[in-house]
Amino acid sequence: MITVNRLCKTFRIPVAREGRFAALRSLLSGEQRLKEAVRDISFTIGRGEFVGYIGPNGAGKSTTIKMLTGILHPTSGSVDIGGLSPQLHRQRVVRRLGVVFGQRSQLWWDLPVRDSYDILAAMYRLEERAARLRLGELSELLGLGEFLDTPVRKLSLGQRMRADLAAALLHDPDVLFLDEPTIGLDVAAKRSIRGFLHTLNRDLGTTILLTTHDMDDIERLCSRVMVINHGQLGYDGTIAELRERIGLPTVARVTFRAGCAVPSAAEAAGLPFVIVERAPGALTLAWNRRELTALEMLRIVSAWGEADDVHMEEPAFEDVIHRVY
Amino acid sequence: MKANLRLYVLLIRASVRGAMQYKFNFIGSAFVSALVQFSEFLMVALVLVRFGSVDGWSWYEVGYLCGVMTLARALYRSFASDVHYLEKYLVSGDLDPLLLRPVPLLLALMTQNVRLLVGDLAQGALLVAVCLRELLASGQADWTAIPLTLLAIVSGAVLLFAIGLATAACGFWLTRIEALQNMSEDAARSAAQYPLTLYPRWMRTLLLVALPVGLVSYVPALYIVRGEYGAWLLVAAAGAAAVFLLLALRLWTLGVSRYQSTGS
Repeated sequence: MITVNRLCKTFRIPVAREGRFAALRSLLSGEQRLKEAVRDISFTIGRGEFVGYIGPNGAGKSTTIKMLTGILHPTSGSVDIGGLSPQLHRQRVVRRLGVVFGQRSQLWWDLPVRDSYDILAAMYRLEERAARLRLGELSELLGLGEFLDTPVRKLSLGQRMRADLAAALLHDPDVLFLDEPTIGLDVAAKRSIRGFLHTLNRDLGTTILLTTHDMDDIERLCSRVMVINHGQLGYDGTIAELRERIGLPTVARVTFRAGCAVPSAAEAAGLPFVIVERAPGALTLAWNRRELTALEMLRIVSAWGEADDVHMEEPAFEDVIHRVY
Repeated sequence: MKANLRLYVLLIRASVRGAMQYKFNFIGSAFVSALVQFSEFLMVALVLVRFGSVDGWSWYEVGYLCGVMTLARALYRSFASDVHYLEKYLVSGDLDPLLLRPVPLLLALMTQNVRLLVGDLAQGALLVAVCLRELLASGQADWTAIPLTLLAIVSGAVLLFAIGLATAACGFWLTRIEALQNMSEDAARSAAQYPLTLYPRWMRTLLLVALPVGLVSYVPALYIVRGEYGAWLLVAAAGAAAVFLLLALRLWTLGVSRYQSTGS
């Protein structure tokens, strides 16, 4: 569906001088610095995939999305969406795309939400009946009914985001690009948007590429993640693989019914886990789940006393990602 | 083409409906724009009152020059609207959402923030009507002047649009283009409201060849109201407008591919 081949984007930025007459010297020098926002990125996304595209601020996420949607022209390399280049055939490609920028609404700011949909329907040359039907569906799924007649500028952020999503989907696109769709939203709004995206991908088979800083979004929705940093692709695979590769330890706190005989430091050194904390009647342990299962851990620990309760914590996905950055 | 035209009308209507939400501003801006235009004409009128004529051009002839220019400009600005304000889009990155729509970028831009320059149009029309009537009555021009004037206004609007578009396209390289616009659009247009024979040769050449605002009202007026040279002047002016439009569109397309957007 989407093929990206050796994509590069270099921006020219005028260099600002410092010191005396800085402004004048900047003006006269005309010196430019090159910033490589995206460096040699290649990937392929198949139909129906839900891909998370993550990376720290300034890593090149938005630049990539802008090249995929035809807004920017790459310095070198190529993009192919459904057989067409978004740069050469922008209008034809865009017709098959839905795009939501969380930071920027695409609706007509001063008009009621409904009017925006009418205009979009005409732009995408949708049949009137089909458009009405589609809007009905989206309206029901996203709960647009309560604010369809309100001007866009008076919507709350959560409402606006739902309205924007519907606008991006009105023409039933094959591919949906989402650039931080949950930014600034409260828990309830996030949840409803996540639920909607999940349905969209699973039931309607829409291919989705999502960039976000919310790791919950990624973990709950995406079957595959791509990590970009300093303009380069650092990882491309499933979330489970990523966790495994980073190998952050699982942490467990074991409480004993009647105290325990804690092994000495010399003995502990030979164990397949690390004792992080010793408290009377409780131990906190850390180990790698790939080398030792929880049951095996428990078997070893039971030898020291009768275990009463075990509380296990998997490493947070956010910590895993922090390691990749 | 036909579909794009329909879309153009639809988008213009949406734009006007949006602007109507701020009624005072909508009416006020039309009024102020007309006032600015009028004060510009007043300057010319003052010169005329003081000297009686400019370089052999009578009051009515210079009024005609001014009126045709005002109408051509008002037409261009009414139909192309935010093309003149591209800078704002380049600085803020607001061009992104327009590029995501399955319509030509220029069409999207031309239908943003439409201002109806009713005041300018009315004032220009009045000026041209008064001057033409006088020129017809004195027998200096015949009735063909009326359709020819309309032709000159339309071709002039196309030419001003081409110049405006080319200037705006430079914004894809320069980002800030206000100064450039002041020179290529405002200053040049003000200069071409007087008979060009007033200026030194180099400036006349500039205003006729490189930045041909002289073709909007001066050159057509030479034939229409003064009967000099021949009808080919009008054909040449219209032809130049078409050529300039094509060149400007080329530059625009090239510029769009250089668009840098803003940080996320």
